[in-house]
Amino acid sequence: MMHYRREDTDRLFKYIFKAAGLLTIALLGGIFFMLLYNSIALFANIKPLDFFTGSQWNPESLNQKYGIAPLLASTFLVAIGSMAIAIPLGILTATYLSELAPGRLTQFLKPAIEMLAAIPSVAIGFLGIVLVGPGIAKLFGIQSGLNALNGSILLAVMSLPTIITISEDAIKAVPNTYREASLALGANRWQTIFKVTLPAAMPGLIAAVMLGLGRALGETMTVLMATGNASVIPRGFLDSIRTITATIAIEMGEVPYQTTHYFALFAIAAVLFLFTLFINLVGERYANQRRKFQE
Amino acid sequence: MKRLFACCLFAVGSCASGDSIIKVKGSDTEVNLAVQFAESFHEVNEEAIVSISGGGSGLGIASLINGNADIANSSRRINDEELKLFKEKKIVLDSFVFAQDAIAFVVAKDLPLDTISTIDLAKVLSGVYKNWEALTGKKVQINIYGRQNNSGTHDFVKQRLAIEFTPYAKQMNGNAQIIEAIKTDHSGIGYVGAGYVGHGANNETKVLYIKDGLTNRSVSPLDSASITAGLYFFQRPLFQYYRRSSISKIKAFLQFENSNQGQQIIRSAGYYPFK
Repeated sequence: MMHYRREDTDRLFKYIFKAAGLLTIALLGGIFFMLLYNSIALFANIKPLDFFTGSQWNPESLNQKYGIAPLLASTFLVAIGSMAIAIPLGILTATYLSELAPGRLTQFLKPAIEMLAAIPSVAIGFLGIVLVGPGIAKLFGIQSGLNALNGSILLAVMSLPTIITISEDAIKAVPNTYREASLALGANRWQTIFKVTLPAAMPGLIAAVMLGLGRALGETMTVLMATGNASVIPRGFLDSIRTITATIAIEMGEVPYQTTHYFALFAIAAVLFLFTLFINLVGERYANQRRKFQE
Repeated sequence: MKRLFACCLFAVGSCASGDSIIKVKGSDTEVNLAVQFAESFHEVNEEAIVSISGGGSGLGIASLINGNADIANSSRRINDEELKLFKEKKIVLDSFVFAQDAIAFVVAKDLPLDTISTIDLAKVLSGVYKNWEALTGKKVQINIYGRQNNSGTHDFVKQRLAIEFTPYAKQMNGNAQIIEAIKTDHSGIGYVGAGYVGHGANNETKVLYIKDGLTNRSVSPLDSASITAGLYFFQRPLFQYYRRSSISKIKAFLQFENSNQGQQIIRSAGYYPFK
């Protein structure tokens, strides 16, 4: 009779696990639906064309302006800036860790890098205000360091752990036979790393970059504190910017309930959600490619 | 994050039912003051428990509409859109002015400017003046540090000067960050509630005297006699909104705010009693 009971337990747990998995998907769907539902309410009052092409975001002015363009431009400017810093730094660090560093150093460095991810974003934002901001101001001879560059530097620091950890896994997963073959053909160590190992790990590296980018796009507190939040289309990295996330964070608290402005915040959240979803999907796709190549 | 900041005061041992806790929500400007009220009120009246949370004037009023708060702190008058929501739900609203706040304009200590007229200020904040040349003779860019465009403070300054802010004005997340930014930016100007400046205690920033364009009188927001006389250009009442039906529950708390001890708390927190 024992085996009956065991099968029952098996089946029960199968359902529990299935429910947990489905619940996560339901949550994702629910969030997306809620964002979309509230966004649609916006377009009853605002023309979609104005929303996507308007060059000003100023919901509380007399003629309310709900142009998402400055927010999108800001979001991407700061994210691209952070990637310009974090990609070379992250991939080179990952290469060093997996290919060159002596074992004992790796054992120390890896946890140290992962610790970077544990620093709360408020703390990093505070560093941006009191350290990086004044530093940038001094370096460029400008008055205020609360700008896109400040945000980019901080976001680079925050996305480094993601990029390094995933890149390192990808580089480690390149079969040793590749390296041996390259060395046997007379290539030296640098040639092997740059011409064989890294290209072979490319899908994994792209996944790492995409997931890092997703992290940078979605980060709120740090950019909110460090970038000055002026909602104009930025002319360069030394301009104050206002990302989508920061806009939602500073305006949601005081927005009158269920007004056009309230729905507009949901709409920009939905836009950001679609972008990060897309970027994460691309990242996942490449991550899966890597798994196939390992087999 | 400050807007998640919530202060709940629970008496140890006594387990009050949810109904007897007075829930106060709303303006970030008033949250520090409200917390002090709640703490002192509990000392005087052991039975009473008041929970305070910030989140902004709009959030406070929204919570009052859907019954999540008993008192909504607001640093601005309730607007028509919100009033309509109360009417739709047939809620009778009452309000109470419990203190006054003055908005201080802050610059770095070494900016050669002590007094600014409301006319010049309007030009600075609306972006007509892009640098300090007209005011200090130095051609350095003006950086404006203010609050987000739907905070009560931002709204108040905008309405009082009858301007639209330049989109280049930086929007900071709270008063403390504005002070922090002004400390490092020697060409910046920012506005904060006077309660956040401290009474001249800070030696990297200074508070500007505001010259009323009509009366030509310069007044500092830290001068309590002038505030009491209503002479400062940027002073405003701090409101508490509540449902008329819940008056019996919150009456003692409102009376406490109006008592001598309450007025003392208002003064020591950097605000001004409303008389």
